[in-house]
Amino acid sequence: MIDFHTHTPLWRTTSWLGGAPFTAEQFVQFMDGAGIEAAVVLSHDGLFDFTPQANDDLAGFVAAYPDRLFGMGTVNIRRPSEAVAETERMLGELGLRGMKIHPWLQGFSPHEAMLDPVCEILAAHGGILLSHDGTPPYSTPAQIAALARRHPRLPVVLGHGGLHDLWREALAMTCETENLYLCLCGTPPYAARRIVTQAPAHKVLFGSDAGLSDRASQDYAVARAREVELWGIPETRRQAVLVDNPRRLLGMTS
Amino acid sequence: MVVDAHVRIGVGRDVELSVEELLTGMDALGIERALVAPAEAQIAYHVRAGNEATTGAAASAGGRLIAYAVATPWLGGEAAVDELRRARDAGAGALAIDPVLQGFDLLDGMVEPLLDFAASAGWPVYVRTGTPPNALPLPLATLARRHPELAFVMGRSGATDFWIDAAPALRHAPNLYADTSYAPWDTLLTELTQDEEIGPGRIVFATDAPYTIPAAELSRTSQLPLSEEDRHAVFGGTISRLLGR
Repeated sequence: MIDFHTHTPLWRTTSWLGGAPFTAEQFVQFMDGAGIEAAVVLSHDGLFDFTPQANDDLAGFVAAYPDRLFGMGTVNIRRPSEAVAETERMLGELGLRGMKIHPWLQGFSPHEAMLDPVCEILAAHGGILLSHDGTPPYSTPAQIAALARRHPRLPVVLGHGGLHDLWREALAMTCETENLYLCLCGTPPYAARRIVTQAPAHKVLFGSDAGLSDRASQDYAVARAREVELWGIPETRRQAVLVDNPRRLLGMTS
Repeated sequence: MVVDAHVRIGVGRDVELSVEELLTGMDALGIERALVAPAEAQIAYHVRAGNEATTGAAASAGGRLIAYAVATPWLGGEAAVDELRRARDAGAGALAIDPVLQGFDLLDGMVEPLLDFAASAGWPVYVRTGTPPNALPLPLATLARRHPELAFVMGRSGATDFWIDAAPALRHAPNLYADTSYAPWDTLLTELTQDEEIGPGRIVFATDAPYTIPAAELSRTSQLPLSEEDRHAVFGGTISRLLGR
């Protein structure tokens, strides 16, 4: 399986979900144990302190396993010229695959026009935009869908499939918006089952949210990966969610 | 002519408005007609009493009041539609939905039988918005796109944290209309009127009494710079057209 939603440790900032420190080697050991072939790794410090340094740290982490770890950095969009330059650097010099935004933590609305130049760069480089979702007031699936409609060439991923309160909205938006994808990550099982069976088959992904555990072994993420087997979804859909869809979106050929 | 697109009559948790008070207030402000929804308990639970209150008020007001019909979707589709049919037969002219008081998601399918009936009755549909997670402008826009035959009024226009969603929602669904209650004219309403994809023809005046001060709503909204034609549309022309009366 391919895990489309994981995090690095926090290296420079603190949070109530600080978690245990771990190395790239330990992270790949967790992946091997959970049957995860490859993972999208999202900036963690960058959610709180969106600096180029956070992207450098992320790039260093994923560089140890370039065939298995795909990094997505972040920028400070309230500094537009710096955000544009840093997006170019992320996708070019640093070799990251896209951008993670967390609108309510980072303090902006998906409707704000200052996001547009950054999204245009992502689209031009074949990058991916992954957003936290499921949380009002600034991270609802419909708000992120509106951003996706402004950039129809950019693949936009709902990072949490609407979570507990907005999963129906996430499903509806994924059906309605051609370039919007949905990552089941923290979505409750009854909702995941409905989403997997009703969303366009090629648009659903899975993520464990690994990286936040108090143990380097990421025990909760291992449990989440195993739980997929109990969702009761058809094998063809399971294969699409866990393997085919993320491989296609990431352009994995091997 | 000024038409108020949404008030609630009866006794709520913290506010109340009698029909007599409403009509007296309308006279004082020069409001010719108003659409009346029932009180909170009658939207959430006692819907038959609510429909009797609004249609009774309309019947006694000489054409100045137009009744909203209500039905909680939790009655089940058939029973909910029966309530709406009774209200229509008693003269109701529009449907009011409050996903917060009635406890459902706009996109979970529960409201569909009510909307189908509204379409058959030729009713516009008022939906309260602004309260997360289940009464927000953008999911309402998606619902509106699924029912292009219906006109939806985005009650409260997302006030207040979701005012920023109002314009994207209106752009997404051409059959969605903003209401003016609570909205500052010199930020939100100006943005909506000047947006090429929205414009003043998509905005309807509403006081949302008794939660507001109607005189302040009318005074503030009247400052919105509009041509005479657009002013006529915002303050009654558009909602009258949607009502067909």
